[in-house]
Amino acid sequence: MAQTNSTGNTKHVKKRTMLQETWRHLIRNRGAVLGMLFLLFLVGAALFSPLIFDYEKDVIGQNMQDRLMAPCAAHWFGTDEFGRDLFARVIYGARYSLIIGVGSVFLGLIVGTILGSQAGFRGGVVDSIIMRGIDIFYSIPNIMTAVVIVSLLGTSTVNLMIALAFSCASSFARIVRASVMTIRDQEYVESSYAMGLPTWKIIVKHILPNCLSPIIVQITLLIGTTIISASSLSFLGIGVPAPAPEWGALLSAGRGHIRDASYMCIIPGLAIMMTVLALNLLGDGLRDALDPKLKK
Amino acid sequence: MAEDLVLDIKDLVVHYETEDADVCAVNGIDIQISKKRTLGLVGETGAGKTTTALSILNLIPNPPGVIKNGSIHLDGKDILKMSQEDLQKVRGNDVAMIFQDPMTALNPVMTVGEQIGESIMLHQNISKQEAFEKAKEMLKMVGIAESRAYDYPHQFSGGMKQRVVIAIALACSPQLLIADEPTTALDVTIQAQVLELMKQLIQEKEMAMLLITHDLGVVAEVCEDVAVMYAGRIVEKGTADDVFNHMRHPYTEGLFDSLPNLKQRGEQLVPIRGLMPDPSDLPPGCSFAPRCPYATEACTKSIPPLKSVEGSKTHFVACTAYENPDFSLRRNENGK
Repeated sequence: MAQTNSTGNTKHVKKRTMLQETWRHLIRNRGAVLGMLFLLFLVGAALFSPLIFDYEKDVIGQNMQDRLMAPCAAHWFGTDEFGRDLFARVIYGARYSLIIGVGSVFLGLIVGTILGSQAGFRGGVVDSIIMRGIDIFYSIPNIMTAVVIVSLLGTSTVNLMIALAFSCASSFARIVRASVMTIRDQEYVESSYAMGLPTWKIIVKHILPNCLSPIIVQITLLIGTTIISASSLSFLGIGVPAPAPEWGALLSAGRGHIRDASYMCIIPGLAIMMTVLALNLLGDGLRDALDPKLKK
Repeated sequence: MAEDLVLDIKDLVVHYETEDADVCAVNGIDIQISKKRTLGLVGETGAGKTTTALSILNLIPNPPGVIKNGSIHLDGKDILKMSQEDLQKVRGNDVAMIFQDPMTALNPVMTVGEQIGESIMLHQNISKQEAFEKAKEMLKMVGIAESRAYDYPHQFSGGMKQRVVIAIALACSPQLLIADEPTTALDVTIQAQVLELMKQLIQEKEMAMLLITHDLGVVAEVCEDVAVMYAGRIVEKGTADDVFNHMRHPYTEGLFDSLPNLKQRGEQLVPIRGLMPDPSDLPPGCSFAPRCPYATEACTKSIPPLKSVEGSKTHFVACTAYENPDFSLRRNENGK
């Protein structure tokens, strides 16, 4: 056609896949890179800690001669009241925090996305029933819900994950519902009906991918919140059962020594804070990188 | 000609039933389109054009939309009696639709190649890879370089997006193409290109097209047949020559009077007085009567049926005034 020259000139446009494109944008964002590096380090620590430390000896083995030592060359983060090396415990604790955080968020994501997309897409009675149910859960503070569920199911890591997933599911359901409602009336959804796509395919291929950026941001933020909640529950003594070095439990143990051995609180506290901060930085960066409208 | 009939709508009635009122969007229309022909459906905003188009795909949002009466036969099969599964096979494969606004008709997070390939993959049962190759061919056909299949919709201009939308619609070589105001969102030069392209593809692929528009210029350029719609009814129907040069209905005349005439630039434009009636509260008799300069008492009594114009096989008009054999429109008397 005559227009081919004007419309088809693509010599200068380099071809990149969506992943490459997102990655390119992500690494331009310093905060996100910083967050990502810290998280990588954390994931590495969580993965390799069983190789570096012996759980029985280093992490939960008591050594009363070395109790309450301040940070030094032998014990980088000092020791606790039973003489356990805090460095080993904090590093090992990353396993718990990450598994609980990621696990409950993804559990919540699956449940929340299914509920939210049904509510948003169908509307009407279905919407009312699902959303009022979720509102009820939302009106109870997360920790309270979690306390009740953990008390009912008993304290274990898996039960803690289930308990925290409840609150995640309700926030995901709300976000997904809101995004689905704005997108289901778009013309490209109508046109995919006209193309003969079945409804579930339209939801999965056309509607949900367009809700992705709020969901991704919410995932990273919620992993942070969930890590805090999990720590709070452990702090209260109903999270991960006792000798396990969960960060909240470490904080709780350090509480009694906040005057004479403040590092026992500060170090696990910092670990929690930095993890959450890193997750938030990464979430922000991802949001910018994934937004197709911001791509130049 | 009858064997070539692609679309046959008979006495279609569509209402939107809301809590406040019953909106009578389409009130008994008949439309026939044969292969390789293009029917222009013309009318003001709110005349029921889009509702007609959506009912061909049985896509009227329900609730509130209800198809009350009538039948829609597509290539001999009744759309309104099909199961949801059969409908999904027809949509996109036998009938495709081009939407009004190319800016919003494409999914922003999928590459255009994927979007074109999607419908091919769905209806022709081929792999994603093959579908993508076909998508590239489609792009080439609408005048866009194949390499751009990997691009996202925001990397295209408006006219190119509409070409992509056309490529999606034509991907499965449908028998009927419904174009709902395909050029309204485009500027005039791009309009011409897109229309030219559509016309050419209709001939190449031997399709039928229903072109919905309020732009008489577009109709003149593309359509062989024209149906003028007012308040959910067809008031005049015929070949483009019938309607443009030998118009019979006062509403059609009103439409043409509101257009500037190139030969007599000084002439004042005469808009149709009044407003389109509220479709939830249509006037009795002819819906156009309250705005019609020729209206008489008889016009408000009964709804005029669509009758064939004397001496013509193709031209139909729905106007009571022609019961008086001496009646003719002012525009026709003055000579064009």
